[in-house]
Amino acid sequence: MDATILGFLLLDALQNGVIYGLMAVGLVLVFAVTRVILVPIGELLMFAPLSLVWLHSGKLPGTLALALALGLLWALLARGRGGLWPLLGGLGLFLLFLLALKAPLLAYPASVLLVVYLGVATYRVFFQPMREATVLAYLIMAVGLHVAYQGLGLVFFGPEQYRPAPLLSGEVVVGLSWQGVLVLLFAGAAVLGLYLFFRLSLYGKALLAAAQNRLGARLSGIRPEEAGMVAFAIASLLAGISGLLLAPLINAAYFMGFMLGLKGFVAAILGGLVSYPVALLGALLVGLFESLTSFYASAYKEALVFLLLVPALFLQSLRARAVEE
Amino acid sequence: MKRWLLAGLFLALSALAQGALKVGVVVSTTGPAASLGIPERNTMLLIQDILDRTGGVAGRKVQFVILDDASDTTQAVRNTRRLVEEGVVAIIGTTTTPASLGMIPVVAEARVPTISLAASKDIIHPVDAQRFWVFKTPQTEELMARAIAADMVARGVKTVGYIGFNDAYGEGWARFFEAEARAKGLQVVVSERYARTDTSVTGQVLRILARRPDAVLIGASGTPAVLPQRTLRERGYGGLIYQTHGVANPDFLRVGGKDVEGTLLPAGPILVAEQLPAGFPSKRVALDYIQRYEAKHGIGSYSTFGAHAWDAWLILRPALERALRRADPDRDLAAFRAALRDEIEATRGLVATHGVFTFSREDHLGLRFEDSAVMVQVEDGRWKLVRTFR
Amino acid sequence: MRYLWFALLLLPLLLAPFPFYLTLLNFFALSALVALSLYVLTGLGGMTSFAQAAFMGMGAYATALLTVKGGFSPWLGLLLGLALSFLLALVLGGLTVRLKGHFLPLSTIAWQVALYILAGNLVGLTGGHTGLTDLPPLLLLGLPLDNTFRYAFLGLFLLVLSVLALQNLRESRLGRALLALRGDALAAASFGVDPAGLRLKAFLLAGVMAGLAGFLYAHFLRFVNPTPFSLEASIKYLVMAVAGGVGAIPGVLLGAALFTGLEDWLKDLLPLFLGRQGNYETIGYGLILAAILILAPRGLWPLLARYLPQKEGRLPQEAPLPLKSPSGARGEVVLEAQGLRKAFGGLLAVSGVSFTLRRGEILALIGPNGAGKTTVFNLITGAILPDGGRVFLFGREITGLPPYRIHPLGLGRTFQHPHLFPELSVLENVALGTYARTRAGFPQVLLGLHRKEEGRALALAYQALKRVGLESLALEKAERLPAGQQRLLEIARVLASGAEVLLLDEPGAGLRAGEKRELAHLLRSLSREGYTILIVDHDMDLIMGLADRVVVMNYGEKIAEGTPMEVQRNPLVRAAYLGEVA
Repeated sequence: MDATILGFLLLDALQNGVIYGLMAVGLVLVFAVTRVILVPIGELLMFAPLSLVWLHSGKLPGTLALALALGLLWALLARGRGGLWPLLGGLGLFLLFLLALKAPLLAYPASVLLVVYLGVATYRVFFQPMREATVLAYLIMAVGLHVAYQGLGLVFFGPEQYRPAPLLSGEVVVGLSWQGVLVLLFAGAAVLGLYLFFRLSLYGKALLAAAQNRLGARLSGIRPEEAGMVAFAIASLLAGISGLLLAPLINAAYFMGFMLGLKGFVAAILGGLVSYPVALLGALLVGLFESLTSFYASAYKEALVFLLLVPALFLQSLRARAVEE
Repeated sequence: MKRWLLAGLFLALSALAQGALKVGVVVSTTGPAASLGIPERNTMLLIQDILDRTGGVAGRKVQFVILDDASDTTQAVRNTRRLVEEGVVAIIGTTTTPASLGMIPVVAEARVPTISLAASKDIIHPVDAQRFWVFKTPQTEELMARAIAADMVARGVKTVGYIGFNDAYGEGWARFFEAEARAKGLQVVVSERYARTDTSVTGQVLRILARRPDAVLIGASGTPAVLPQRTLRERGYGGLIYQTHGVANPDFLRVGGKDVEGTLLPAGPILVAEQLPAGFPSKRVALDYIQRYEAKHGIGSYSTFGAHAWDAWLILRPALERALRRADPDRDLAAFRAALRDEIEATRGLVATHGVFTFSREDHLGLRFEDSAVMVQVEDGRWKLVRTFR
Repeated sequence: MRYLWFALLLLPLLLAPFPFYLTLLNFFALSALVALSLYVLTGLGGMTSFAQAAFMGMGAYATALLTVKGGFSPWLGLLLGLALSFLLALVLGGLTVRLKGHFLPLSTIAWQVALYILAGNLVGLTGGHTGLTDLPPLLLLGLPLDNTFRYAFLGLFLLVLSVLALQNLRESRLGRALLALRGDALAAASFGVDPAGLRLKAFLLAGVMAGLAGFLYAHFLRFVNPTPFSLEASIKYLVMAVAGGVGAIPGVLLGAALFTGLEDWLKDLLPLFLGRQGNYETIGYGLILAAILILAPRGLWPLLARYLPQKEGRLPQEAPLPLKSPSGARGEVVLEAQGLRKAFGGLLAVSGVSFTLRRGEILALIGPNGAGKTTVFNLITGAILPDGGRVFLFGREITGLPPYRIHPLGLGRTFQHPHLFPELSVLENVALGTYARTRAGFPQVLLGLHRKEEGRALALAYQALKRVGLESLALEKAERLPAGQQRLLEIARVLASGAEVLLLDEPGAGLRAGEKRELAHLLRSLSREGYTILIVDHDMDLIMGLADRVVVMNYGEKIAEGTPMEVQRNPLVRAAYLGEVA
């Protein structure tokens, strides 16, 4: 192991870590506001670039049908004027997709908006009706949706990977492409943006409050349902844009999302599921650890990355007395 | 409730259809092996179409019962038992090695002849009391590894690096290739692993580069096999890169693009059917399959994996015809299955898309190295035949 | 009645003409065993585990290695498998049961993935991903269990035994303790439950059960590879348990049956509706799961159970354990606090507080909000550690001991918000109090040897209910009681524990005037019997009418002590409550 190799590994760690970081941030956000562990975030991540590839080859992706179907369910579940938004949104999305078939550049925002719409509809249709459910019940629901969405991913897009063209081509230095730099910049901006949003803006603070105490939030004029939708919307937005930026680097396929989400989850746990900057740091740590283990013991790499959780959790537990409420 | 209705319906229909022959098919159309299983299923459906149009086998209708095992052993076993209960005369499947191994005790207990579509030699070797009932059509890893090793030696390769999937496929390849390499005097200097879902293999590739092998073999399948190759090229690896026959599908070329130019891989002859020399046994049969498959699914859509399923039927059909002359499935299903098994084993010199099958009591693979493996290279985004072993 | 479960053993006979259904029956038995392990862990203990498939794998690989590589008897493989599962659970559990909330399940994910990868990579040992083949069939008294029909009997038999054992568990001190733990560890600890210790034991039991399922799986399939013991498999079992209703034994069995059959029903139905070209089973699976959770967030069983006849409760018949009345001289010092001190960060919550409690008296601890009364309470009962000072109970130092060690010495407490089990009967709720006075451990309970002691404990609980006047409500669900009676229930619970020093945290909170009078009446009669009571409360009328002596705190310090009259007239006290007043 010499300096060059170490350098390459660190660079690799950085790029991988950033992917996990983007996942982690979305997971922390959704968990903080709704107590839902968004297992299907990996599928949302992959749906964006896969839909893009479909649009670019002149076809409407099946994810559009899924989104519209959920939108319809949403409209049916909502009463009165509440049903108008999903219908209008769905219609707009559909028109956007038709336009994108003619204008390839529109495919990018179309895919992202699709994922956002899908994410919010997912919350509205599946999670919101589960009032006052336990975290475990939410988790099982999330698992069910992950299974369903992954299955739909296979049906819509087939079993193989796809590689959309990068937005920026060429390399900055061996091992880091301009596209990779774009991803890093985006991640930094996302974390900074979320941090500021939740620390400084009133709406951000209100969102967090809604998670801690539903009744109190409502008494203060914040609707928990709205908070949930906003959280899912932001997380989906992050996932969609990340997916588009990452796909040229990692290849997108229907099955790639789950492991990314899981490792992002590990990163979020290292951050204690509370703080975005710490979650990102945790993600970089995961990336570093993974890079090193893939060099030294590639067969056991995954095992070691997950075992990283154990000392982290152990340390966190030592800080808390076993008996406290 | 519904199942009783369906069962009743099936019974009624089969009574009407006067002994439609049921053939069970277990394939992995979901899960990690989906890219292999889906073309296999498509091929079976293609055959079903043909049979429906041409009236079946020896005047009897043939019905395929196709079940997905999601690349999971337990599912495969369940499906197998279910098929046995439904009275299938034979089973084709499954796609992956571990699931096929799991099926062996079941088909042996039920005494149903089975033609597996999976790679490993362990499925049919040694032919003991259980494997008595099991055959397979794909070339074993051992056979393909022999092709690679032979090609490497011919090109003057001395040291080899390996990077493969962290699953049964990659593990099987590692094992069999290392054995073949040793036999041919090649040295495997580094052996790395990665997961199908990995987004980066930088660490593994750096490790390989540090050892500077003359050639690198990638033990993976489908589009995830592109990743290590791309990474090797990006990091400046200048040696030969070999892939396994698991990448012999058009998506690999699509996703790989420039990065996979010059890849060497062993393949069943069907991959480059048009380029085969005139006397090559499988040429005609392979072209026939390709034309039929492409007629339904589009130009360039065929895969060598679907062809394994086609070969299974090429073997099964005449065996069925011969067995029907000896026994009657409606009267004594067990005796018919045993007769069918005997007839399958009696297959001699059957020309198929991947080679020529000759089974025997000791050999349930039935392929000869010379007829069933060719070396192919990727040139201009297309498969190009570079060497046969005849 | 409980032996009706053995009727399950008739199923193989009924299904014998349909060999495929026999296969499903076997898979059901295996899944149900794992689902039952989750009942113990999640339903009773409130811990979520994503590693049950790893324990299965332990059991399966142990027997595979022993039989295939070593040529030993499969029954030896069973012993090894159970032992290894136990050890694995000990190691994992030891490290992780202390983790609260969502950290425990995450730790189990880590272990599960790690073990799966090890199984796949230690090729020399485990056969890697290709696995180990040709496991021998089980031999039972010379009869080979090598077909689905015979194997189903074995699987179902072990399943029924497990169901009975777990029913015993549920109706025992351990079952109550586990349920108490999941609500609030502090409340359980206050009745002598060692949270980490009990959680670990539950983890061990769950691990061993899953290991047994793994052993059965290995000799059913006669082939072992890592796939059935992956994270996906663990999730599948968790889904079964939760969708069926993880809080009840019939629930997890229902979930196991439903989802075992579902995969095949979907294979039948979906192609009829959607054509044979697609792979829609996983989608259907996910959507059905989602539908169940929306319509029945606590699982299907609670929905169905409403329509079934409820089991009639019985009043206990056995001779009760003695409801000890306090003995010893009145006026003797039972509890002494010396110079207690506690700071939270920069805030000094309690500073140098000392007082004594004498047998038979009712001492009230009062003060304005934020005075530190609850902190003192928690320091004495062991809920938090003091920074300085000491506490003595019956002359014995208890400073720094956790609540579950203090309680058996004779100290009991109640809570501001009564920590009751709303779903259980009043009698069962009170029975939690008997935890420290009963001895039965997991082995005795699972084998059903604890019945006599359990009966006596329930009889004791009934006596305690009589003491507080609630015996007519013994078989009612606790949630039906109004606040005042819930408070009396809590006191009965503490009485049943044999504690003679009672610490009551805001017992008057949420009570109406009449209920407060009733409470005061009970407390006075208890004190006459020799119980010593320390109350923290805000209600002055209640306190002044009830207490023999009063200690007043403000800003963490004791500012006054004396009879209610003395304290009322104390200018410091008035200033504390009313601000500066002339």
